[in-house]
Amino acid sequence: MSVTAQIIRRRRPSLAGYVFLLPWLLGFFGLTLGPALASLYLSFTNYDLIGTPHWVGLENYVRIMTADSKVADSVHVTLLYVAMSVPLKLGFALAIAVVLNKGISGLPIYRALFYLPSLLGASVAIATLWRKVFAGDGLLNHVLLVFGIHGPSWVSDPNTALYTLVALSVWQFGSPMIIFLAGLRQLPQDLFEAASIDGATPRQQFWRITVPMLTPVIFFNVVVQTIDALKAFTPAFIVSGGSGGPINSTLFYTLYLYQEAFGYLRMGYAAALAWLLVLAIVAVTAVAFVTERLWVHYDD
Amino acid sequence: MNRFGVNRRTILSGSAALAAMASLPRGAQAQAATRLRTYWWGAKERADRTNKVDEMYMAAHPGVTITGETLGWGDYWTRMATQAAGRNLADLIQMDFGYIFDYARRRALLPLDQFVGKEIDLSGFTQQSIDGCKVDGKIYGVSLGLNSTALIYDRETFEQFGIPIPEWPMNWDELGERAAALTKAANRPGYWGMTDNGGSGPGFECWLAERGKFMYTQDGKFGANAEDMADWFGFWAKLRAQGSCVPPEVQSLDKLDIDTNGLTQGKAALTFSNSNQHVGFQALNKRKLDIAMYPAGSSKTKSGQYLKPSQMWSIAATSKAPEAAARLLSYFVADIEAGKILGVERGIPASKPVRDAIEPSLDTISRRGLNYIAFISDKVRDLPPPPPRGAGEVLALMVRTNEIIGFGKKSVTEAARDFMRECDSIITRG
Repeated sequence: MSVTAQIIRRRRPSLAGYVFLLPWLLGFFGLTLGPALASLYLSFTNYDLIGTPHWVGLENYVRIMTADSKVADSVHVTLLYVAMSVPLKLGFALAIAVVLNKGISGLPIYRALFYLPSLLGASVAIATLWRKVFAGDGLLNHVLLVFGIHGPSWVSDPNTALYTLVALSVWQFGSPMIIFLAGLRQLPQDLFEAASIDGATPRQQFWRITVPMLTPVIFFNVVVQTIDALKAFTPAFIVSGGSGGPINSTLFYTLYLYQEAFGYLRMGYAAALAWLLVLAIVAVTAVAFVTERLWVHYDD
Repeated sequence: MNRFGVNRRTILSGSAALAAMASLPRGAQAQAATRLRTYWWGAKERADRTNKVDEMYMAAHPGVTITGETLGWGDYWTRMATQAAGRNLADLIQMDFGYIFDYARRRALLPLDQFVGKEIDLSGFTQQSIDGCKVDGKIYGVSLGLNSTALIYDRETFEQFGIPIPEWPMNWDELGERAAALTKAANRPGYWGMTDNGGSGPGFECWLAERGKFMYTQDGKFGANAEDMADWFGFWAKLRAQGSCVPPEVQSLDKLDIDTNGLTQGKAALTFSNSNQHVGFQALNKRKLDIAMYPAGSSKTKSGQYLKPSQMWSIAATSKAPEAAARLLSYFVADIEAGKILGVERGIPASKPVRDAIEPSLDTISRRGLNYIAFISDKVRDLPPPPPRGAGEVLALMVRTNEIIGFGKKSVTEAARDFMRECDSIITRG
């Protein structure tokens, strides 16, 4: 047997593996990595889609950092959104998960019901519905009127518009709730029994046993939800009609990026905005992992 | 092993055949069948009419296949830009006055002068309607219909409360007074005389005409100064204060389309719009609407309005069958039978023979549009200089500035000064 034949024979099993992976590999290199690298290149150019990109060096990045007041506005709006929606949503998800974990009957039904908003929430229909609920003559104000309160036009007032989007996000607590629920089921029951025997109240048990034991799950949810919130786009796009208004009060960073790219055809500038978002998300995640050992407890 | 009978030789010969097919001269393929792609925005009514005309054309021209793509206005330009980037534009593209300069100057469109008098019949067009589609002296589009800006108002409500309807000639203050009177007379919570149009670019453009200025100068600069802006935004602040128009939290629900407009939403009795859109407004309003001219200046003799092509057909520079596309274009704008199907849905046909032929068969609403254009024709001014790149962003800035003042975030003077600074930066950047 020749040496070549031997090599081919040895390679064959891995070759077959790569052939099976081919669709994924093509997708990854052709549809993910390729465009990502192209966008990195474009971020150093001035490109209006119709003409050819021309190199401008760091100009886009310099403008974003120093001369664009809308970037500052949109970063402010996005951070405010993250800071409000992530803790509220996770708190809500955990509370519901704890209640559902009490062993009530019909759990699968409740679980499905509470999960439902997460399936619907990202849809255009719900964002449109949200506009109706929080409008000046919307459902919410009709309910408030029963209590004699004249509510503002929540979605169209720059002082309150962002809160309606936070509420929309909190309402979609389903997926972290399911994860919390799974985490709660994993907790060793003997710890709770021992605590009860020692006279710990349910509240003490929650804060001293449940929460510390659950920190790995909380950590996971915090990271995932923060990244999601930083990338949020659809609700603001639909609720404000793509304008980020009134007065930029719902101008999420991604929405501004979209406006620059597809509204005003500044693809190079938008690519630079996108890469800064990627860097910001990487940085936030890195900080989360660095601080992890300070508050996350693993069994070992 | 070789179950499917595929070996290196069959693959090689197969690719050779493919390569041979690909290298066939274009002409040979085109001879078999000319395939034309069309691309336009609009609602179902327009789709039905356009498809009908396509079918009539295909029936009369065997060997030509027409495929149409249509999208709503919002997504239309995004997709168009993407197609332009991929050198994959449709042969025949519905074009807008605000975009034609961009696309023509970026060489995405074909100059049509070479076809005029041959494939394209413009004999029924006035010189003005041909010139309105020129960019830097060359024809890049052919008008599918004329329109102009117009006030669209709920005539029934005005008459019900005995308020004088908005009629030419009427100045800006008179419009404000009538709207305030209507708000007062209707005396209904959540209902006002008119929408807040301080953020309306076309409204501002018309208002500015009295000062002898265009919104954009011939060399693409912004035509107004801080004082003009303060006066304009101040005028609307006054209207809000006197109850002529809706408050800011109602106005900011308007997403600049017919569906979310205050008139459609039952919040106001009058709005600033375009003449061809009154068909769309009427379709969504139970009460009887009518159209009127924008207010005149204080002298009440001249209007700042102008006639413009509401939309046009352009041909992509990358079209593989430009002559065939030109013939189809001509069919849409100059053929009487096609004109009867298309009606005035895209605006008033620019070709006089077509206009005359369809006039008798028009319904009341369409006739209203036709009469309006006839009425204003001797009162309007010439087309203004073309908007520069960044004009779309300036419109968004106007809306935002009007909101900033409306919600009391800044004084009129301060907001107008900030507007000028931001506007300059947008235009410089392009």
